[in-house]
Amino acid sequence: MTSAAQVVALVAIGRQAVRSALAVRSEVLVSAVAVLVRVVLVVLVWRAVYAGVDEVSGVDGPTAVAYAVLGAVFTNVLNPFWRSSLEMRVRQGRIAVDLLRPVGLVPQTLAQQVGTTAAAVPRCVLAVLLALAIGALRAPAGGALGLLAFVVSTALGIAVALLCNLLVAMTAFWTLEVGGALMVYRAVAQFASGALIPLWFMPGWLRGTLEHLPFQAQVFTPLSVYFGALGGGDLAAALAVQALWVVLLALLAQLVWSRALHRVVVQGG
Amino acid sequence: MGQPMIRAEGLVKEFTRPVRRTGPLAGLRSLVTRERVTTRAVDGVSFTVERGELVGYLGPNGAGKSTTIKMLTGVLVPTSGTVEVDGRVPWKDRTRNARGIGVVFGQRTQLWHDLPLRDSFELVAKLYGLDRPDYERALGRFTELLDLGEFLDTPVRGLSLGQRMRGDLTAAMLYGPPLLYLDEPTVGLDVVAKARIREFVAETNAVDGTTVVLTTHDLVDVERLCRRVLLIDHGEVLYDGDLAALRRRYVPYRDLVVTLAREDDGPLVAPPGTTVVEEPRTARAGTGASDAARVVAFRFDPAQTPTPAVVAAVTAEHEVVDLDVTDPDLEAVIAEIYSSGRVRA
Repeated sequence: MTSAAQVVALVAIGRQAVRSALAVRSEVLVSAVAVLVRVVLVVLVWRAVYAGVDEVSGVDGPTAVAYAVLGAVFTNVLNPFWRSSLEMRVRQGRIAVDLLRPVGLVPQTLAQQVGTTAAAVPRCVLAVLLALAIGALRAPAGGALGLLAFVVSTALGIAVALLCNLLVAMTAFWTLEVGGALMVYRAVAQFASGALIPLWFMPGWLRGTLEHLPFQAQVFTPLSVYFGALGGGDLAAALAVQALWVVLLALLAQLVWSRALHRVVVQGG
Repeated sequence: MGQPMIRAEGLVKEFTRPVRRTGPLAGLRSLVTRERVTTRAVDGVSFTVERGELVGYLGPNGAGKSTTIKMLTGVLVPTSGTVEVDGRVPWKDRTRNARGIGVVFGQRTQLWHDLPLRDSFELVAKLYGLDRPDYERALGRFTELLDLGEFLDTPVRGLSLGQRMRGDLTAAMLYGPPLLYLDEPTVGLDVVAKARIREFVAETNAVDGTTVVLTTHDLVDVERLCRRVLLIDHGEVLYDGDLAALRRRYVPYRDLVVTLAREDDGPLVAPPGTTVVEEPRTARAGTGASDAARVVAFRFDPAQTPTPAVVAAVTAEHEVVDLDVTDPDLEAVIAEIYSSGRVRA
């Protein structure tokens, strides 16, 4: 298959994932309500935390509230539900069908995840509009250029998150059951990515450790860009680190898959 | 092209899993055990399939059929042995191999659950690089052959099993692969749906020259479709050859079933070369025989005693109102082989 044909196939898989994710109306509605409720709740909590306080660790109230809103939105996108994820397909034996496609398993799974992520865009837009309406969010720092940097950083952050998800899910080829591992991973990722609490609030030693892990590249970096916390040189370095993680994790995913290939077991006959 | 479509040699697949403990704290002990058990699902299977053949791959549950199919399709990597499909090693050259094969697993579907059937087909067309005119032509043909028209726009989750299977067959054949694997394609279907699937498979094989490997537990599928069968059990090939020879070799007899005119219960004279088999049978309808009529079978080996001679001898000795010559059904043949585990040489 030519690479052009591969791209056509991957785009088709991604679009299918979008349509599958939007196929059940009640589910679309419930997940939209869920993210809106979460946004309102974090706004209430962080406003209460900052009541009568101007600054904590050099972060002012409006920034902390806005960070919490975006953190909630990012979490909603980057920690998707189990549906159609690789580990579920391994568990149900549907992996057999995936392996019969004329497209590699890693690109196929990623295309599918990109589609699922894209399907979350409408509810994220709603959540952002709601946050703007209740005055919990302001435009990104740095005007149009700042917005562009944020979009690039977000795209890289999503790529890092999807690759991490894929790597964890691929352990299913060894253990056949990764429910527990995924739950632990998601809890760690939510915390370590800075989606729950900004890394600004963390003690120096913890922040230093987290900065060497791929998690902060998922959420904390794009949000730092949004709030203009990174100046010129730091911004370029942060984006480079994100890109480096994407390359490293992609190579690792291919390596793991080349080992996993020999471990494939199709469950359920 | 002299190269066979499939060449498998000494194919072995082993699965390893941790030992399950029993007794107190079984769950916890199973979790920490380092002990492993290895099961050999396929144990040195060798065969070749020529282009255009339609081969039945048979065996009881757990015999290793599906595992073999999964190695042939490139889903599983063999533990040892070699496999080549159309000159390629399926698991090494997976994506190229995928373009040249169609696969239907009766127990699972390749269709997208939430989308209308038509969308699944369009997606398959894109995945396999089919251009629009070829796609339209193929879809038109299969819609007609498999009568898909009325449910093309129904989401897959709303289809009956028979409809879904027709959809799966179409998805597998849309891009015209020269090789089709069918893993229990008629499981759970009603007689009409089964007949339709068989007709389709026969047509695909005859008209397009598609090579077909069929696993099934439905021996009617085999009798209608396959000239050659491969019998496998405990991961080993027990028999590889044509169906008629299998039957002849394993149960070399035929029954002449007669309904006697009188209800006398005296001993029957068995002509030379025959034995009387008296099993409870009832007379066929429409013969005028009463329900109480005595029905008996004379069993003989047609290679030793020609059928007409047996008919002549039996009708000379007894007054009969109906007669019928039957071959043992394939079901009985296969059951016999499975339970004895060997084919007579």
